Amino acid sequence: MKLIYRILIRLSVVLLLILSGWAVFFYYTMVEEINDEVDDALEDYSETIVLRALAGRELPSANDGTNNTYQIHEITKEEADSYPSIHYYDAEIYIQEKKETEPARILRTIFANNEGRYFLLEVSTPSFEKEDLRGAVASWIVFLYATLLVTLLIVCAWVFYRSLKPLYTLLHWLDGYLPGKPIAPLQNKTTISEFRRLNDAAQRAAKRSELAFNQQKQFIGNASHELQTPLAVCTNRIEWLLDNTDLTEEQMAELFKTKHTLNYIIRLNKSLLFLSRIDNRQFTESCPIEINNLVKRLLDDYKEIFCYNGLIVSLEESGTFTLIMNEALAEALISNLVKNAFIHNKENGYIHITLKEQSFVIANTGTDFPLDSEHIFDRFYQGSRKEESTGLGLAIADAICKQYQLHLSYEYRKGEHLFSLSK
Amino acid sequence: MKILIVEDEPSLRELMYKTLLQERYVVETAGTYLEASLKITDYSYDCILLDIMLPDGNGLKLLDDLKKQHKQESVIIISAKDSIDDKVSGLELGADDYLPKPFHLAELNARIKSVMRRRWGNGDMSIQLGNIRIEPDSFRVFIAGKEIELLKKEYDILLYFMNRPNHLIDKAALAEAVWGDHIDQSDNFYFVYAQVKNLRQQLKKAGADVEIRSIYGFGYKIVICNNESTGKQ
Repeated sequence: MKLIYRILIRLSVVLLLILSGWAVFFYYTMVEEINDEVDDALEDYSETIVLRALAGRELPSANDGTNNTYQIHEITKEEADSYPSIHYYDAEIYIQEKKETEPARILRTIFANNEGRYFLLEVSTPSFEKEDLRGAVASWIVFLYATLLVTLLIVCAWVFYRSLKPLYTLLHWLDGYLPGKPIAPLQNKTTISEFRRLNDAAQRAAKRSELAFNQQKQFIGNASHELQTPLAVCTNRIEWLLDNTDLTEEQMAELFKTKHTLNYIIRLNKSLLFLSRIDNRQFTESCPIEINNLVKRLLDDYKEIFCYNGLIVSLEESGTFTLIMNEALAEALISNLVKNAFIHNKENGYIHITLKEQSFVIANTGTDFPLDSEHIFDRFYQGSRKEESTGLGLAIADAICKQYQLHLSYEYRKGEHLFSLSK
Repeated sequence: MKILIVEDEPSLRELMYKTLLQERYVVETAGTYLEASLKITDYSYDCILLDIMLPDGNGLKLLDDLKKQHKQESVIIISAKDSIDDKVSGLELGADDYLPKPFHLAELNARIKSVMRRRWGNGDMSIQLGNIRIEPDSFRVFIAGKEIELLKKEYDILLYFMNRPNHLIDKAALAEAVWGDHIDQSDNFYFVYAQVKNLRQQLKKAGADVEIRSIYGFGYKIVICNNESTGKQ
């Protein structure tokens, strides 16, 4: 999720909560204010009536055009005691002139005259429609929210992109940085001190990683030198012995076995070096490679070398699979997958290769149970322990695929081990 | 023929020295850049085997020194760094060949011979053994003056043998040289037997006086037969 979306979503949610809260508060405050005013008017009106009633003067007419109404009943003392002396409430009343019911504010008050008789006075005045008010407040709040939101988001996005421009420049620069490649100069002028610090930190980190990369490269080179030379000495001494001394067949057999073990170590060392070179992205040049041609060329060699135990190899082409990658890596990738299918096969088994425009699938017979697909691409993982096998072939294939963002997957289907490679 | 070995690892230096002495070369050795640079200034050699990672300097600088002194020595770089950069810069600086470590001694011999042929052969690059002659430039094989047709793999095997006469050839090393790295996990060398068998038949048919002998099933040796043994076959 982009930072701007996160910020905008959060702003919208917070705004929604605040505006809703504010709407509720506004509504109640307004209702209270109106009630207060109406209550004052009602109180004045009831006072007039009570004063007139007590003075025995004529009471105001019930129909004076203000829609105000009143009723007076005589009540008993007990009843008078049970009521509060002044009480305001809302109710629906029927207005005769209009012939309809309307919401009204009502004041109920109790008074006693000199003779000790108690009266209940109810004065009412039509008030506003609360439903209407609520609806109006709500729709205006929605309108306000929408307008505020759009304005806010536009302003926010503009401010965001304007102020964070140096950050995006820096991110773009970081994306372009690959260990082992020369560092491009960072052109990111800014007066903001945080961004300046970030620029400096990124440049320092890039320089450090460049340094570490070079040191690692050097270390690999040195380690390789340190191992290759003694390995060369060992094999060469054995070769010298074999070539220059009279040995019995048994002695020769032992020396050949030792030599083959040494060859295995040499291969292991070479594979490990190759793997670390891939991981260090030291193969950078790429060109389009037609995998079909590569597969056919490799199959010719492998058929000759491995087809001594009745292996049947078939190739099905329905398109040309082309990858843009380093030539040496393409060869290593395909040859490891193909070789794997030959080596881990069984007697009278088969290999079936399918080439399509977007994929390369190699299926082979082998063990009768699926391999551990979690660990199959791990270094030194071997489904069935095979002498002479380094256990690095699939790890190399996987490392190459990671560099080029290719998908390499393993699947076991009805006795077939399937490896699929796709873009 | 005078050869200078520049190699800092004493054990390997001694072994190369011993091997090349057997091939009847005059061999000198140097263990450091300084020693090597003194030797190339004072003497001249036909071929220099140059390790480029030396304790006191980069071997590639010796190539520069040679150029500055207008010396014509052939140089074979021997490097543990099997990196393309080194190979390219070495060959650009005037090295004649590049041999990554670890190598087979037989391979070293063959490379020296090939470099020497280029140096002294006056354009004639052909390899002769008994009555077999190979012209590597045009991939042609002549037996007793008559050209014969060989398949690619047969030709590669024969060339490999011809470059290493009278030496024991390990079938694994042969397979690696001819079939490339692909063979590295094969536990069966039937494909080598099959090709060598074909090659033997071809040579016999054409009346070659060299023989590819099997050594206990571990490897081969190519030798010139004397007349009696040819008669026996």
